[in-house]
Amino acid sequence: MAPKKKEEPKPAAPVAPPEPERPKTPEFDPTSVTLEFTPEQIEDFKDSFQLFDRTPANEMKITYAQCGDLIRALGQNPTNAEIIHVLGKPKPEDMQTKMLDFDQFLSIHQHICKAKNRGTYEDFVEGLRVFDKEGNGSVMGAELRHVLATLGEKMREDEVEQLMQNQEDPNGCINYEAFVKYIMAS
Amino acid sequence: MGCGVSKSDQFHKHSGKAIRAAVLIQRWYRQYVARAEMRRRYTWHIFQSIEYSGEQAQIKLYNFLGYLMDNFTPASNERNLISHIFRENEVCRDAEWERYFCYKNIEVPEIYSGPHLFFPLTVEQAVGLVEAFRNKKQLHSRYVLQLLAETWKLFRMMPNINRISTCQSKEITICGDLHGQLEDLLLIFYKNGMPSLEKPYLFNGDFVDRGKDSIEILIILFAFLLVYPSEVYLNRGNHEDHIVNLRYGFTKEVLTKYKMHGKRILKLLQKIFSWLPLATVIDQKVLVLHGGISDTTDLGVLTRVDRHNYVSALRPPKKRHIISTGTSIDSDVDEDVWGTNKSFQRRASLIYPQPLGTRGSFHNRSLQDFSDRIRGKEEDDLEARKRRQSVFINRSTEKETTLTVSTDSDSSDNIRDEWKQILDLLWSDPMSQDGCVPNEVRGGGCYWGPDVTEDFLNRHNLQLIIRSHECKQEGYEFCHNRKVLTLFSASNYYDVGSNRGAYVKLGPDLVPYMIQYQATSMTRELTVRQSAGRTERSALKVLREQLFAHKSDLICAFKKYDSNNTGLVSLNDWATAVESVMHLGLPWRMMRGQLVTCKTSDGTVDFNEWFNELAIKRPNTDHIDQSLLETLYRHRSTLETIFRIVDTDNSGFITIEDFRQTWKLLSVYLKMEITDEAISDLSVTIDRNQDGSIDIDEFMEAFRLTDKKSRLERGRSMFMGTATDLTKLDEDPNI
Repeated sequence: MAPKKKEEPKPAAPVAPPEPERPKTPEFDPTSVTLEFTPEQIEDFKDSFQLFDRTPANEMKITYAQCGDLIRALGQNPTNAEIIHVLGKPKPEDMQTKMLDFDQFLSIHQHICKAKNRGTYEDFVEGLRVFDKEGNGSVMGAELRHVLATLGEKMREDEVEQLMQNQEDPNGCINYEAFVKYIMAS
Repeated sequence: MGCGVSKSDQFHKHSGKAIRAAVLIQRWYRQYVARAEMRRRYTWHIFQSIEYSGEQAQIKLYNFLGYLMDNFTPASNERNLISHIFRENEVCRDAEWERYFCYKNIEVPEIYSGPHLFFPLTVEQAVGLVEAFRNKKQLHSRYVLQLLAETWKLFRMMPNINRISTCQSKEITICGDLHGQLEDLLLIFYKNGMPSLEKPYLFNGDFVDRGKDSIEILIILFAFLLVYPSEVYLNRGNHEDHIVNLRYGFTKEVLTKYKMHGKRILKLLQKIFSWLPLATVIDQKVLVLHGGISDTTDLGVLTRVDRHNYVSALRPPKKRHIISTGTSIDSDVDEDVWGTNKSFQRRASLIYPQPLGTRGSFHNRSLQDFSDRIRGKEEDDLEARKRRQSVFINRSTEKETTLTVSTDSDSSDNIRDEWKQILDLLWSDPMSQDGCVPNEVRGGGCYWGPDVTEDFLNRHNLQLIIRSHECKQEGYEFCHNRKVLTLFSASNYYDVGSNRGAYVKLGPDLVPYMIQYQATSMTRELTVRQSAGRTERSALKVLREQLFAHKSDLICAFKKYDSNNTGLVSLNDWATAVESVMHLGLPWRMMRGQLVTCKTSDGTVDFNEWFNELAIKRPNTDHIDQSLLETLYRHRSTLETIFRIVDTDNSGFITIEDFRQTWKLLSVYLKMEITDEAISDLSVTIDRNQDGSIDIDEFMEAFRLTDKKSRLERGRSMFMGTATDLTKLDEDPNI
C-alpha cells in the first residue's frame, strides 16, 4: 500500500542479490535476458532438467516449486527471495501448479548466473565471526542453530539438524573455518 | 571482547551482519541440499535400472532355454544338457514324496545349541525362534523339514484368494517385500508387536532372495502361520519361485547353510511356493497382491485356477495325470517330449501360429510370446500321452485314466489365459499413463494405467489395491488417484541409506495408516551425508563395472564418432554413445564428473585411457583371451544361473563336461564365437584341484573389479568426516 514499501521479506534481501538496495525492485522480464551459455552447457542443463521433469508424458516441464532446487543443483546459490522474484512473484498456491518449460527456465537460470556476489569463503568466515564471542575461531553450536532457525530465510529444525550433524565438538563449539570448508565442499 | 556485553546488546549491534551471515549460510545449505537430492535421484535410477535389467535378463534366459527346446536336433550335444536341465525329480507318487521329505531319520546332535521344536507349535516356540535368529542361531534341518511339512499341509487347504475381515475392530498389519532382510522383520515386530489373536498380519510376497536371511524369515513366518492360522496370511511374490531363486541368492543361501539337507529343503519349498495363495481380499473392499493387475485380470478366473500347477510363473504349467488309485503323478510337459518322443521334429506352421523367426528374435520376445508355443506343444504332448496312457490302462484294474487336458483349443486357451493371469498378478507395475502395455523392462507382466485400475475396482466392487514389488524411497507410495498403494518393507534395499521401509495398518474404516522405519545397525555411525555418499559411491561402482563389461561395444560406438581416429570424442558424443550401448536411460552428462577423470583441456574424452581407468584386475588371467573375460564378466549373473540350473542335484559343483556344455550354450545365446581351446583354457584355470569338477561359488567369487578410481576415492574419503567416522569407513569392505 505504501509507495516505498519493499515487496520481499525485508532485511533478508539486501546481502547478495544482484539488484542493488533500492526501495522498489523492478519486475523480472525474461525477454530482457540474453543467453550466454555455450551449447555444451545447455545440453548439460537439459539432462538435469529431465531428471526433475515429472510430467507423465515427459513434456520437459517442471513446476515453479522445483525451479529453485534445479538452479541450486546446477551450482548457483540464490536466496529464496531471488527465486520468487524471477518467477514473477507467484502466489504460494501457484508454486505446485504452474509449470516452466525449458526455455523459460534457461532465461531464469541465466539471470541468476549473471548475478554477482555469490559469497566467497572470506565472506562466510566474516559472517560467522560475528558470533565468535571470544574471538578464538569457534562459535557456539547452539547459538548458530538459533540464528539459522530465526534469522534471514529461516531454516526448519530438521534442516538445521542435518546441516550441523556431527559438527560440534564435545563442548558444543564449532570451528567455523572448518565448518565453512565443509559446507562449501559439496 | 565479548565478556561483559549482554547478548541482546551485541545482537542489536551486529544485527545487520548477523542476518547477512545467516542468509549466506542458508543459501549455501539450500544449494547443498538441492545437489544432494539430484545425486540421490540418479543414484536411485542407476540401481533400479540395473535391478530391472537383471530381471529382464533372467526372463530372456528362460526364453532362450525354451527356444532351444524347440530347436535342437536329436543328434546334437546340447540335447543331453538341456534334457538334464529340464528334467526334475520326475514321476513320483505322493507316498514317494513323503518318504523323500521325511525328517524322522535326521538326528539332532547333543552339541546343537539352536532351538528345538515340538509339534504342534506353540506361540512360545515361535517367539523363541525369533529370539534365536536374533542371536544368530540356525534351526536344525530336522526341524526345518518338519516345519515345512506341516506348513505344506496347511497351504494345501487354503483357497487361491484369502478373504478376511477386520471385524471386532481388529487392525490388520500388512507388510511388503522383505527380501531376506531379517533385521527389518525384527524391527517391525519390535515396533508393532508379534502376530497374535489380536494382531493379525498379512505378508505380501518376496520374502526371499537378495538378503542373507531368507530362510530364517520363512521359518518365522511359517511358524506364526502354524500357531495362528487364522491371523497370519501370506501372498505369493514373484520371488517365491525356484527359478528366480537360482539367480537371486536364495538357493545359494540354503545350500550354504544346510550342506547336508539343503537340496531336500529346496525341493519342499518349491512345492510350498506353488501352494502359496495368490491374493487376499480384506472386507471385500481392499485387494492385496504382490505385483498388480492387467486389463484382463479376472478374480473369478484366479479363484478357480489350480495354482499349484504353476511351480514357477516363468514356465508353462505342469500337467497332471490322475490315475484310478487316486494318487497323482506330477510330470513335466517337457518330460513327455523328451521321454517318449525320440523322433521329435519341429512341426510346420499348422501347429505354430507364426513362424519362430531367426535366432536373434527371441531376445525381444516376452513371455507372452513364449506362451504361443505351449499351444503347439500340447498337441504333441497329447500324442505322447496317448501312448503312455495305453500303458497305464493296461496296468490299472479299475477306471480309466482321465486326462485333465483335453485336445480342443478351448482348453489350451484356458491354460494360456490362466498363466497370463498369474504372471500379471506377480510381475506387473503401475504406470501413470492410461492403458495397459507389456512390461518390457522386467520381461513379464505388464504396465497398467489409472483407467485400468478404475475399471477393475468398479467391476469387482473394490476400493483399493495394495501391492508391493517395487522399492520406494519412503517405503510406500500412492498412485492412480490414491487407489493403488505400493508398500515395500525392506529398508536400505539398494544400499545402506537408500530407502526406508514401511508397513500398513488397516482398521475397519479401511483407511491405510503407514509406519516407516529404517534398519540402522550399519548406519549408526554415519551422518546422513556420509550414508548418502556411500550409496552413491556404491551405485557408481556398480555402474563402472557395467561399463567395463561392455567395453567392446562401447569402443565400437565411440569409433563411429571418431572418424579421424584420434582416440578422442566430444563429451556430447561420449554421452550419446554410452546411452546407445547401455540403454539405461541415465543422465550420463551429469555423471561424467564421477565416471571420467581423463579429460583433455578442451573437454574431449580419450576413451582408451578411460577404459584403463576401469580395468579389471584378476590374477592369472593373462593367458585368457581378454574379450572372453569381458564376456564372462558381463554375463556373470546369467552364467551363474545356468550353472545352478545345470547343477540339478544342487551340490554346488558341476563337472568339467557340463561346464563346457554350458559355455557352448552361452556362446549360442550371445551369438559369439568361442573356440574349444579357449574354453579348455578356462576350465583348466578354474578347476584348481584338477579333480574334474568346478566349484561354482569359487568361480563366481573370482570376479572382483578393482579400479583406480575406487582406490582414489577410498583415499579421499579418509579426509572427509570427523575422526569417529573414519574408522567405520576404513573397515567397510564395500567401499
